[in-house]
Amino acid sequence: MTRTRSPQSHSPRRFGALRSWLGWTVKLSLVGLVVLAGFAVYLDAVVQEKFSGKRWTLPAKVYARPLELFSGLKLSKQDFLTELDALGYRREAVAGPGSAAVSGNTVELHTRGFRFYEGDEPARAIRVRFSGDYVAGLSGADGGDLAVVRMEPLLIGGLYPAHNEDRILVQRNELPPYLVETLVAVEDREFFSHFGVSPKSIARALWVNAAAGGVVQGGSTLTQQLVKNFYLSNERSLVRKATEAMMAVLLELHYDKDEILEAYLNEVFLGQDGNRAVHGFGLASQYFFGQPLAELQLHQVALLVGMVKGPTYYNPRRNPERALTRRNLVLDLLAEQGVLDAEQAAAAKQKPLGVTSRGSLANSSHPAFLDLVKRQLREDYQEADLTEEGLRIFTSFDPILQNKAEAAVHDTFKRIGKGGDPVEASMVVSNPETGEVLALLGSRQPRFAGFNRALDAVRPIGSLIKPAIYLTALERPSQYTLTSWLADVPFSVKGQDGQVWRPENYDHQAHGDIYLYQGLVNSYNLSTAKLGLELGVPNVLKTLARLGVDREWPAYPSMLLGAGALTPMEVSSMYLTIASGGFNTPLRGIRSVLAANGEPLKRYPFQIQQRFDPGAIYLLQNAMQRVMREGTARSVYNQLPRSLNLAGKTGTTNDSRDSWFAGFSQDLLAVVWLGRDDNGKTPLTGATGALRVWTDFMVKANPLPLDMPVPDNIIQAWVDARSGQGSEQGCPSAVQMPYIRGSEPPPGGACGLPQQAPVGNVQDVIENVQDVMDWVRDWSN
Amino acid sequence: MGAVAASALLSGCATVERGSIPVVDASGSVYDRQEGRGSAAVSRPPVAAAPQAPASAQDSGVVVMVPGGSANGAPIRAYPSSGGAGSVTPIVSPPIAATSGGGTGYSSVPSVPGGVASRSAAASGSLAADEQLDGPVLALLTTAQREQGGGNLESAASSLERAQRIAPREPQVLYRLAEVRLAQGDAAQAEQLARRALTYASGRPALQGSLWNLIAQARERQGDAAGAAQARERARVNL
Repeated sequence: MTRTRSPQSHSPRRFGALRSWLGWTVKLSLVGLVVLAGFAVYLDAVVQEKFSGKRWTLPAKVYARPLELFSGLKLSKQDFLTELDALGYRREAVAGPGSAAVSGNTVELHTRGFRFYEGDEPARAIRVRFSGDYVAGLSGADGGDLAVVRMEPLLIGGLYPAHNEDRILVQRNELPPYLVETLVAVEDREFFSHFGVSPKSIARALWVNAAAGGVVQGGSTLTQQLVKNFYLSNERSLVRKATEAMMAVLLELHYDKDEILEAYLNEVFLGQDGNRAVHGFGLASQYFFGQPLAELQLHQVALLVGMVKGPTYYNPRRNPERALTRRNLVLDLLAEQGVLDAEQAAAAKQKPLGVTSRGSLANSSHPAFLDLVKRQLREDYQEADLTEEGLRIFTSFDPILQNKAEAAVHDTFKRIGKGGDPVEASMVVSNPETGEVLALLGSRQPRFAGFNRALDAVRPIGSLIKPAIYLTALERPSQYTLTSWLADVPFSVKGQDGQVWRPENYDHQAHGDIYLYQGLVNSYNLSTAKLGLELGVPNVLKTLARLGVDREWPAYPSMLLGAGALTPMEVSSMYLTIASGGFNTPLRGIRSVLAANGEPLKRYPFQIQQRFDPGAIYLLQNAMQRVMREGTARSVYNQLPRSLNLAGKTGTTNDSRDSWFAGFSQDLLAVVWLGRDDNGKTPLTGATGALRVWTDFMVKANPLPLDMPVPDNIIQAWVDARSGQGSEQGCPSAVQMPYIRGSEPPPGGACGLPQQAPVGNVQDVIENVQDVMDWVRDWSN
Repeated sequence: MGAVAASALLSGCATVERGSIPVVDASGSVYDRQEGRGSAAVSRPPVAAAPQAPASAQDSGVVVMVPGGSANGAPIRAYPSSGGAGSVTPIVSPPIAATSGGGTGYSSVPSVPGGVASRSAAASGSLAADEQLDGPVLALLTTAQREQGGGNLESAASSLERAQRIAPREPQVLYRLAEVRLAQGDAAQAEQLARRALTYASGRPALQGSLWNLIAQARERQGDAAGAAQARERARVNL
C-alpha cells in the first residue's frame, strides 16, 4: 500500500523528532551546565588557594655588611664611591633616595632605608666629608652633625631552589610613577573596567588584526595573562583558553584590581639570566638597571613594559635597536592616549636605554663566601626553608676588602709570571677583634664556584705551627723567655718504629746559640724542633687545641715542623686567637637572619673565650712582629711603612708544595695559601709566594697598626744585646725587651756585657769599642 | 757620646783584674743549656728541668757546635718604639656635636648638644667620672640602653655589637655587652666579655672595679663561689 505523503503525517513525526532532539539538547545542556558549574567551583578553589596562600617560593637573599658611617671611620672617598656604585646610586643632584653627588672631598647623598635586625634604618639625606683615608665629618640635610648612619647593605647573592626562579617582590606603594599607566595603556586598556575578560579588547584586536592582515594585537587582559603564567602553562588550545577565561573571571570576582595588578607585576616574565628566570618588575629593575623599581624614570619604565610582549626578542642587551624602537613606540602610545604630553614623550625618547652592561643579580659574584654562608646556615635551617622562604641573611662580608684581596692575588700572579700558572690560591680575611670573616677566596678565579680551597683544601701547614711551640714555651716564664738560649744544632731522634728523624734547617746550616725568639723569627727548624721536643709534642698539640685547632693529630716529632694539615680557615682560627690577645672566638660569616616580612629570626652573637695568659701572647706577638722586621717576612717593609706594626709567620712545606703566610694588624688577619691541587712542587716559598700576595693586600687595605695593650704582668727590662744578661739603661749595647714579671734576667755586672778574654792591649779594646759603636748606630737607624 | 761609652767601657774593664775574669756560663756547653732551661741569669742555678722529651727520643750522634759564647748569635735588635706601650685608645674622632636621637639619655653620661659628652659623676655606678664617650659609640650605647629598657635584650646586644665593631677596644662597650649577656642568663659569656674588657681597661680603676664585680656575679651564677669571692676582692682593691 502506498503511503500518502501528507504534510500532516510528517509534521507530527518531525515535530516529535524535533522535540526529542530538543529534549536531548536540554538534558545535555543541563548536564553540561552541571559539569561546568562543578568545574567552575573547582577552578574557584584553585584560584583562591594559590592566590591567598603563599604565592611564590622566594630564594633567600644574602647581604654584605652595611657600611656604618661616622666621623673618624677609616674609609677613603674612592672606596665609598665604589660602594655607592655597586649599590646603584645615580650620580646626579641629590633629590631622593638613591642619588649621590660628589664635589671635592664631600659626597652628598640620599640613602635608602632598610630594615635590619633591630629595626628600621630610615632613608635620609646626608653629607659625608673626607680627609685623607678617613671620614672627617658626617652631617644631615639640615647641617647638623650625625653620630652614625647605616647604609643599606649590598645584595651579594641568593640561595636558590632547583627551579631557579627569583623575585624581588614589590608592593603597590613601591611603584615608580607611570608604571601602572604604561602597563595598562600597552597591555590592557580596559583593565580597570573589565570583569576579567574584555569583549571590547577582543573586538578591537580582531578589527586591528584583520586590518593588518596578521596578528598584531592581543585581546587578552592582564588578568588573563596573570592566570596563564601563574596557574597554567603556555599551551595554546581552545580548552586552555576557555579555562583561562573562566579563571580570570573568578579571580576578578574574589580579588580587587590592586591585588591582581600587584600579582601581575611580580609574576610577569621579563628575562633570562643563564639558568635563572627573571620574574617580576622588581627583579627586572635590578637586573637591567641595577636600581630599585621605585627609582626608575619614565624611559626606563617604558622599556620594561615594552619588554613584556617579548622579553627575549626585546632584550635590551642582546637586541638594543629593537628594544629602543619598542620603547619609543610605547612612549608614543602614551602620548597618543594622553598619559604624557608631547614634550615628556619627546624628552624620554631622547634618553639612551640606560641598562647596565652586565646583569647584576650577583648570584655568582662571590661563590666562596656564599658557600661559607650556606654551610653555616645548613646547621640551623632546612634546605627548603633556605631556598623558598625568602629569608634575609645579613653577613659580615666586606665587598671592598674582597675586591682588594682578589686584586692582590691577581696582581701577584701577574708578577710571578708563567711559573705560577699551575699554582692555585686561597685567602681568608677576618677581623681579629670580632671574629668575623670579611673576605674569602676559594681559588684564583673568584667568580668560579668550584672547589673552595679556603674551606676544604687540607694542606700541611709547615712552619705555621711554630708559634704554637713558642707559645707553649713562653707560657712557662720560669723556664723560657724571649731571650732564653736555644741551640740551633743538628740532632736526630729515633721514633718508636725505629725510624730516625733528622731535621734540617731550610738553609742546611746550623746557627749555634741563638735567642729563643730568633728561632721563630728566622724559622729555624733545628732549634724549634729541639724546643718542641723539650716541651713535649703532646703539650704543643694541647696548645694547638687551645688555639682553636680541632684536628686530632698523632704526637709525632714531625708534627713540630708542620707535617699536620689544615685548611686556610682553620689556620685563621688558630691565628685569630693569637691576634686577639689570647681570646678564641669562632669565625663566623653571618650576623643575623630575618624573615621575608622583616621579622627578626636569629642572631649569631659575638662569643669569646680567654684561652691564654695575655702576657704569654704579648711576648709571642713581639716575636712575630720581629718576623716582619728582621725575619723571614722582612720584605714586607719594602712596600709598607715601617711605622705599621704587623705580625705574622711564613710557612713553606717540603719542596715548596705549599706556600703559606698568616699575618695580622690590629684590625685585619689574612691567611694566604698557594699551592698546586695535584700537590706538585712549586717555585714559591712562603716568603716569595703567599707573603707577596699578603703584602699586596695589606698595601691596598691600609690596616691599623698592631697595638696590643700591655698586660699587667709584662715589664720592659734592659738587657745586653749580645749576652742577653740584665743590663741598664745607658749601657752601650743595652736594649729593652719585654718579659713576664719575675722572669727578666737580673742585672749582670758591668752592664751585662759579654765577658771578654783578658784584654791584651788597648788596641783590642778600642776595636771592640768600635764594634759596639757600630751596633749602636745600627739600632738608632 | 763615643768618648763616654769608651770611658765607661774602659772603666768597666779596668775594674776586672787580669786573670780573675769569671768564666761565664754563657759559654758553657750545649748540654748545660739544654738541661733545665734556667733563666738567662748567670748566677742562678738551673730551675727544675723542663718536662722530658718523649721516651722514644734519644740523643744519638749529637754534634756539638762549639759556641763562641754570645758572639756567635746575632745580637738583639732594637727598634724605635712606635706604640705598643699604649693602653686604651679612645675613639679617634674630632669632638663632634650632639648625638642623634639621644632622647632617653644614657644613665651616666647626658648628651650635651653641641659638645662632647660631659663628664659626670657616676649615676648608676656603672661608669666613673673619667669615663667618656662620644659620637657613634655613645649613640649606639644609648640605643642599646633603650632597647634593653624595653625588654628587647637581643636587639640591645645587636646594637652593642655594632658599637663594638666601631670601637673594638672600648671597654665600656664590652662591659655593657657583658651586662646584657648576664641579663640573658649567659653567665659564662658575661664573664669572658668582662675579662676581655679588663685587658683594655688599664688605668681606669673605677671601670676595672665594676668589671670585677660583674665577673663576681657571673661566677656566682655559675656556681663558683670561691672564684666569685676572689673577683670581689679584686673589685674592692680597685675601688
